[in-house]
Amino acid sequence: MLKGAEIVLRCLRAEGVDLVFGYPGGAIMPLYDALEGSGVRHILTRHEQGAVFAAEGYARVTGQVGVAMATSGPGATNLVTGIADAKMDSVPLVCITGQVRSALIGTDAFQETDVFGVTLSLTKWSRLVRTIDEIPDAIAEGFYWARSGRPGPVVIDIPTDLLKAKKEFSGPVKFRPHARPADAKADGGFTDTIVALLKQSSKPVALVGAGAKLSGAIPELRRLLDELNIPTFATVHGLGAVPPQAPYYLGMVGMHGTRAANMALHETDLLLVFGARLDDRVTGDPTRFAPHAKIVHFEIDPAQLDRVRPCDLPVIGNLADTIPAFHAELRRHSLSDFSQWRSIACGAERAELDPRGLAQPTIRFLDELFSRVPQDSVVLADVGQHQMWAAQRYRSSSPRGFITSGGLGAMGFALPAAIGVQLAKPDTCVLCVSGDGGFQMNIQELATVHRLGLPVKMVIIDNKYLGMVRQWQQLFYQRNYAETDLSDNPDFVEIAKAYKIHSFRLNEDAMREFPVSNETGDQIDQFLRSPEPELLVFDCAPEANVFPMVPAGAALSEMLLEEEQTQ
Amino acid sequence: MQTFHIRYRNTQGTLMRILNAASRRALDLPMVQAEPSEHDHHVILALDVNQKQVGQLYREWYAIADVIKVASGAAHATPWASAHPPTGVSIEPSRAAARA
Repeated sequence: MLKGAEIVLRCLRAEGVDLVFGYPGGAIMPLYDALEGSGVRHILTRHEQGAVFAAEGYARVTGQVGVAMATSGPGATNLVTGIADAKMDSVPLVCITGQVRSALIGTDAFQETDVFGVTLSLTKWSRLVRTIDEIPDAIAEGFYWARSGRPGPVVIDIPTDLLKAKKEFSGPVKFRPHARPADAKADGGFTDTIVALLKQSSKPVALVGAGAKLSGAIPELRRLLDELNIPTFATVHGLGAVPPQAPYYLGMVGMHGTRAANMALHETDLLLVFGARLDDRVTGDPTRFAPHAKIVHFEIDPAQLDRVRPCDLPVIGNLADTIPAFHAELRRHSLSDFSQWRSIACGAERAELDPRGLAQPTIRFLDELFSRVPQDSVVLADVGQHQMWAAQRYRSSSPRGFITSGGLGAMGFALPAAIGVQLAKPDTCVLCVSGDGGFQMNIQELATVHRLGLPVKMVIIDNKYLGMVRQWQQLFYQRNYAETDLSDNPDFVEIAKAYKIHSFRLNEDAMREFPVSNETGDQIDQFLRSPEPELLVFDCAPEANVFPMVPAGAALSEMLLEEEQTQ
Repeated sequence: MQTFHIRYRNTQGTLMRILNAASRRALDLPMVQAEPSEHDHHVILALDVNQKQVGQLYREWYAIADVIKVASGAAHATPWASAHPPTGVSIEPSRAAARA
């Protein structure tokens, strides 16, 4: 006979789980009571949101399912932002929540919330377990849906009495999905159609999104792109899928994308999309998105098609299947010579930033930092200006080398997510770049970093503002800096000391010389090489802005390249 | 106003997910009728939708784990006749040229 809690843990082990993130409480206590000796290591964070973001970080860097645990009521509701984040960014995540005992459900009992209802629209699948017999099936099915197709979040809510109850346990079960029409795949007919479109095209481009990483088809994609040799760019989640040194690669596209990428996307007559949702941050004004182009959309999730702009040829299926099929067909044909188009789209005259922008001290600092991190590092960015600067400046060749909350844009994501990444990759340099606003949203996780002795390298770009909001206020709200002033920020160096984490400050003056002084360079190197957790606070000019920028509702071709254009 | 017929397994939350696809788009639900149908369940919805929303709803409903089939019923508007999963619809000349 096993308790329900022991059955949960046995089933988690059967799904390959050996690490979970969580925070205990009343209703989930039986599960915590059963942890010891279960083979499942639990990481105690200091807030449930920290737990779910850490689980996301683990999942995003490994591709495996991340698991977060919390108690009923406030514990469960504190998971909600992470669940929404996982939904938006296709992260495989299973959240196990304790619930009040079965007899109290629906009575507004202490710490009772309808977490099943609260998360219904944010999850791929969820289950409020009703009997102890349902536990193995719920876990097996939950993990199946979290991993399958377009990955996403799952919630399994288990009343505390079921965690305490006992039953004979015959072992974990395997979920057998029923056949569904949405599981059908593209037939082979698409390949010759795309080749025909390429033959008719004079300005083709490729756009790479997160689906390229999630499918595991990076080698196949890179071989295809090398053969196509057409201007190529990536969404923020596609960064790293294409080697940045590839001669046809133009960097990030969209609201803060490179000028070259946005121009090419505006001018193209054939857009090949590989695993991207084409959300509004990528398209700008959808009625003027790629206005001259036919769109071929490789996508695993039909629900993502035609949301913003109809595509001409949807190719439904896993990129691991559809890319090789297309590539095989492509090899049977000779394509037009796109070199003239390539030379225009990738030419030096479309340099990614105004030289004055490159001289901005924060950009220089990030360039200096990123030039010194080891090749296989993982960089996490929180949400805001620093996120876009990091996305623009960090040039990773590793598909999972740049991690951020892209779709939801959840401030406070990066620090706890870095904990999950560092636990998954203990020997890897994990660099967490945050703003002063976002860092304070989960600053309590410094305690988790210290407790675990994780050598996470944390950077705060401190401009004493909610910088991205302030930038919009400057550009579009006549400098009415309503409630974005954080000039009374605490001293982050002193806070880190209180958590027993070494910390120091650099200011913009250190970046005025180029290259930086040996002293500054040594400081950065020591920071990156330290075997301990470290915090570096970089004092940034309060009114530094991120450019290029496509104003909300504008076409990608209407990007602002520099400050003067906004006056 | 258009009617939709959705066959689904009556598992926890599936009907709510179907309805949520409409409510998240601020669509009124003037008529909802759900009942057992052979081995599964069947819900009929009447919604005032445009053509773009019809496509989005079809795909979102099909993305729900236990939805089996979605169809349009009698309607005052043209039913959404595209296949699911979708196939190329607007480049037939290119396809024909490629195969010629």
